[in-house]
Amino acid sequence: MSEWSVTELMAAVMSRELRDGEVVVMGAVPALPMAACRLARATHAPNLEFIVGGSGTVSPEPDRLPLGSCGGDLAPAATTLPLPDVVLLEGRGDAFDVFCAGGLQIDAHGNCNLICVGEWERPKLRGPGTVGLPFLPNTKRSILYTQSHTPRTFVERVDFVSGPGHPTGADEDRPYRKEGPSLVVTPLATLDFDDSGRMRLRSVHPGVAPQDVYAATGFELAPGPEPTTTPPPTDEELAVLRSFDPDGILRR
Amino acid sequence: MPFLDPAEAVERFLEPDSGLGVGGMQLSAAPMALVREVVRRRIPVARLITSPSASIQADLLIAAGLVREIVSPYVGFEYLGLAPGFRREVEGGRLRVLEIDEGSLTHALWAGSGGVPFVPVPPGLDLTDIPAVDPEMFRRVTDPFTGQERWAVRSLRPDTVFIACAVADEAANVAFDRFPYTDRIMALAARRLVVQVEEVVPAGALADRAPGSTLPSFLIDAVVVAPGGCHPTGFPGRYEADDEALGSYLRAARDPETFGRHLAEIVGEDAGGER
Repeated sequence: MSEWSVTELMAAVMSRELRDGEVVVMGAVPALPMAACRLARATHAPNLEFIVGGSGTVSPEPDRLPLGSCGGDLAPAATTLPLPDVVLLEGRGDAFDVFCAGGLQIDAHGNCNLICVGEWERPKLRGPGTVGLPFLPNTKRSILYTQSHTPRTFVERVDFVSGPGHPTGADEDRPYRKEGPSLVVTPLATLDFDDSGRMRLRSVHPGVAPQDVYAATGFELAPGPEPTTTPPPTDEELAVLRSFDPDGILRR
Repeated sequence: MPFLDPAEAVERFLEPDSGLGVGGMQLSAAPMALVREVVRRRIPVARLITSPSASIQADLLIAAGLVREIVSPYVGFEYLGLAPGFRREVEGGRLRVLEIDEGSLTHALWAGSGGVPFVPVPPGLDLTDIPAVDPEMFRRVTDPFTGQERWAVRSLRPDTVFIACAVADEAANVAFDRFPYTDRIMALAARRLVVQVEEVVPAGALADRAPGSTLPSFLIDAVVVAPGGCHPTGFPGRYEADDEALGSYLRAARDPETFGRHLAEIVGEDAGGER
């Protein structure tokens, strides 16, 4: 087995979660979800399509992963949707299958927060803003990811809900609600949600103990099956990932 | 002729203490030649409206202390980090944020461009804390067809809009290149529109462009020719974002004192058309 970086492992994990024929949307700093989508297309999901952030590019295949989501380096792409069209389709609710998202905070029920830490009126930390995260419950399902698995990121309840996760109470008034977050991918572990919508540990990455994950999570994870070890990227997966990542963005 | 230099365009078409919309997405196509002119002249902006994701075109105006309130789904520097001016002013309680998401913003601009006073917004926003903190932009309405309660967003019509386009022809029609982002609908919602362009082409040269990728001159108050004028952001297909210059901005803007010196350099950037 070749040496791999934890971000390459995260890309492989996210890729395996994607299914053939799905349409995936992603936001700013797209390298990781974009790598996952391209890997999926090259392996088990040749008919998957993905839209990169504000560019509106559909399944672009540049020679190297881009750092940004709106630059001229998102080429070639067979088609491009003008950004207002992407926004319209997000609202329609049946055009996109998977939303890849994250936050300054992610909570026990998969709510995300890109707005603020502390009180909204006078925040301790002002985040950039929510962009498209309110569309999360309106998309078939979502995959959450973050490079920061700490008690500050993983909190019992986000200080501000800017990207809704699983419902915590009765929710009959929201018939549009779909599957919600299905997976959370971090540098330490993969996590999913039990029937009540509470986050639980699914697998720990090689070299990480479940105890490390519990210590890095600011709330009590729901009990679940014995966590497995995340299968590392295979040689084939690594070869694909590196074929479009000559700059090693995923190895930084 | 609507071709003006940045100073004339800003002087004539941006009223002090009015609403300004700025185009450009993330680190691309920010109309910086115009924004720097606003900073140079220290024109206060009562309300800044941005695209779904703004960077230095918003942060520079905010850090210079010129913005009273902002309507924006995102102010940040994408892979380079958070926006220092925006953070400092919001955390210090000096900048009022009218919280909004990209969906509501886009619908509000469509509405503004079509004379629609408000629009019920798509599902999802109702499950966030956003509408509750922003009664200026969001109110409850009853769907007259189903009787269901929903959130509606107020339409947006910026008093002045600045966007960057690829080219203008000699008759001051303009064309977008590959990525119009939301700049075109912001332009349609504008009361006064100033377009910064990279290049001028002969009259008639835009005739073959696809409808929807151009704007006719009758909608445009002024065209400002500013090659490289989106710097330090990029212009897709022409130049990439200058990460080094953006990095210097981010470092300087953390501290008001270093920022003052940096500001002098930044606003000097367009002098003589060189940088």
